[in-house]
Amino acid sequence: MTWYRSGGLSSIAFGLPLVLIFLYFSWGPIVRGLVLSFQKNNLVQAPEWVGWSNFSYVLTDPQLPQAALNTLYFAALALVFGFPVPLFLAVFVSELRKAGWLYNVLSYLPAVVPPVAAILLWTFFYDPSGAGVFNSILGWFGLGPFAWLNSPTLAMPAIVLEATWAGAGATSIIYLAALTGVRTELYEAAELDGAGIWRRVWHVTLPQIRGIILIMMLLQLIGTFQVFTEPFLFTGGGPNNATTTVLLLIYRYAFINGDFGAATALSVLLALVLCVLSAVYHFVTRRWSTT
Amino acid sequence: MIRVRRWGRYGTALGVAGLMLAAGCAKGTDPASSGGGAAAVDEKAPVTITIGDRPTPDKPNDLKAFNQKVSDFMAKYPNITVKSTETSWQAQTFQAQVAGGTLPTVMSISFTEPANMIPNKQLPDITDELKLVDLTKDLNPNVLKIVEDANGRIYGVPTDVFSVGLAYNRNLFKQAGLDPDKPPTTWDEVRQYAKQISEKTGKAGYAQLTTNNTGGWMLTTMTYSMGGTVESPDGKKSTFNDAPTKKALQLLKDMRWTDNSMGSRFLYNQEEVRQDFAAGKIGMVLQAPDAYDMSVKQFGMKPADFGEGALPQDGGPHGTLTGGSLKMISPKATKNEIVAALKWIKFDQFDKYTNEAAAVADAKNAIADKGFVGRPGISPLSQATYDQYNKWREPYVNVPVKQFQGYIDSTTSLKLLPEPPNKGQEVYSLLDPVVQQVLTKKDVDIDKLVSDAASKIDARLAR
Repeated sequence: MTWYRSGGLSSIAFGLPLVLIFLYFSWGPIVRGLVLSFQKNNLVQAPEWVGWSNFSYVLTDPQLPQAALNTLYFAALALVFGFPVPLFLAVFVSELRKAGWLYNVLSYLPAVVPPVAAILLWTFFYDPSGAGVFNSILGWFGLGPFAWLNSPTLAMPAIVLEATWAGAGATSIIYLAALTGVRTELYEAAELDGAGIWRRVWHVTLPQIRGIILIMMLLQLIGTFQVFTEPFLFTGGGPNNATTTVLLLIYRYAFINGDFGAATALSVLLALVLCVLSAVYHFVTRRWSTT
Repeated sequence: MIRVRRWGRYGTALGVAGLMLAAGCAKGTDPASSGGGAAAVDEKAPVTITIGDRPTPDKPNDLKAFNQKVSDFMAKYPNITVKSTETSWQAQTFQAQVAGGTLPTVMSISFTEPANMIPNKQLPDITDELKLVDLTKDLNPNVLKIVEDANGRIYGVPTDVFSVGLAYNRNLFKQAGLDPDKPPTTWDEVRQYAKQISEKTGKAGYAQLTTNNTGGWMLTTMTYSMGGTVESPDGKKSTFNDAPTKKALQLLKDMRWTDNSMGSRFLYNQEEVRQDFAAGKIGMVLQAPDAYDMSVKQFGMKPADFGEGALPQDGGPHGTLTGGSLKMISPKATKNEIVAALKWIKFDQFDKYTNEAAAVADAKNAIADKGFVGRPGISPLSQATYDQYNKWREPYVNVPVKQFQGYIDSTTSLKLLPEPPNKGQEVYSLLDPVVQQVLTKKDVDIDKLVSDAASKIDARLAR
């Protein structure tokens, strides 16, 4: 009764519409997707329940192993080469006493360019003929010409390079925000102890923002598993499926084959994998986490 | 204490999720409304239809003519109310529109769609209604095949038809010492010309479409031109694991790796290839004549440089692949709406073929909006009607028709072959990597490549 008297009812009346709207628009599509994955449904005719057949279909699709491997490859490349870049950028910018804002703007600017425009621009850089921008530059040093996106081995690293360029700015802003929270007296103490810049970064900065780093790594993993725009616009999944990712496969099921059942089934599987990945990540890194 | 609270929260979330699931299931099992049942058609009943493809405001003359046409139509049929939208067909968003149920009653779509949509029941059967509005007998039976199922029932009205030919750059032909009025007609000639162009000008002699399903689309075209097919007539089995397709791939392999006459870019979609073609980087590429519009208007190619020849043949003539657009009717339309829609299609699309004033007005509007009059194509109606129509429009022609002579001759000499009957776009998407491998991997084994693709596609066709 105390709960009621202290205004519990009005807080429910206040919160309920919000909760309902959140449930409908945020969770409604997820549930709808789950339902779709068990149906044969082109959204025109009456849907038909097909049990697990969509799942067995997508799991036996001969394209799936390659798409999964490509996605893993993209995630791994992005982690190894793409992950340290924004961190490095942020530490670099925060160490600057003068004109730090200028470098801040410069590093963030790529994030403002719309992805489609950026990719068109990079396609131009990646022109495989000797006259392409990158090939011209490398040509001065007697290298190339490289086929870039037209080569099954180079296409994926080329895409990762662009994705890193596009994503680094936004991530480094978050690191920068975290860096402002690092206690300055620690630096002063380290400096008094004779620590140079590298030792300060290694022993003070990085441990202090460890929590953020761990979170960003998880976010990046989830993000890279869902990579779509770059392979779709750069290569259409080619050459020879070298850049076909799981999401591209889902897109093809839905919008080329008109097979929404298969598309949602694969989406559900991907979501499951990401849930498991997040849980495992959480338990593995719990020991190092600051929170 | 904290623990209890937390479990409470999870419990609520789970409960609500369960409710949502139940609600979702209940909604999912509702039968979708489709068609108007077996009700008889009442031509006098008031009916409202929505029409897509309304010209955008940047084409003021077209828009004015369109609005005029709509009001003329409503004056002629007082019981029909016409609403219009700018919705138009885009390959990437179309399936989403179908799924979302946001299609207008009538809209133009590409020939690539019906092969998938008819078996999916995403198009209404309009055979009886076509007879009712007296449209069937006018339509070109060769073209009509594209919108028919195995039983000869009709699901759409073809309005704009073309077949694939060979677009070539006349300027590069001249630079390479080739006669720009004599495009190659056999694949042997294509190979030889490509080599000559690339040696003399340093540009790609020949380029091939390879991504976003266009690789499979053009491999199918080449297969047809070599006398092969891609699917059995019933669409249940693939048929390309034989000599014609392998010959097509071997030709590409030879041009790419032996002659080195295909330049350095091997990932091309339709727009990109037209862009490079218009920029004079490509000597020859398989394209329908409508490539002219985009190359000239959007990418600034000189009209004098554009040439279009027949689809090259090998040991033929075998035929060429057709493309174009048709008017589709929404699967949600009732019988009365279908009849009203067909009356509109006849009024909008076919009256100009039989009425001189309409033909001339149409041409004048096109020119006023910097469009093109006289680009060759294939008649959706009988040839005699089409010739008459072209004669009326002759004074307004602003496309260099002579430069399409090779193609024009082929429209009567080559058989028009429809696209694969079952899951066309899906088959194309599985054939894309085949073409890509031939162009990017030097030691590729064509026999294995083709048989692997065939087994993948057979599995899909059986689903």
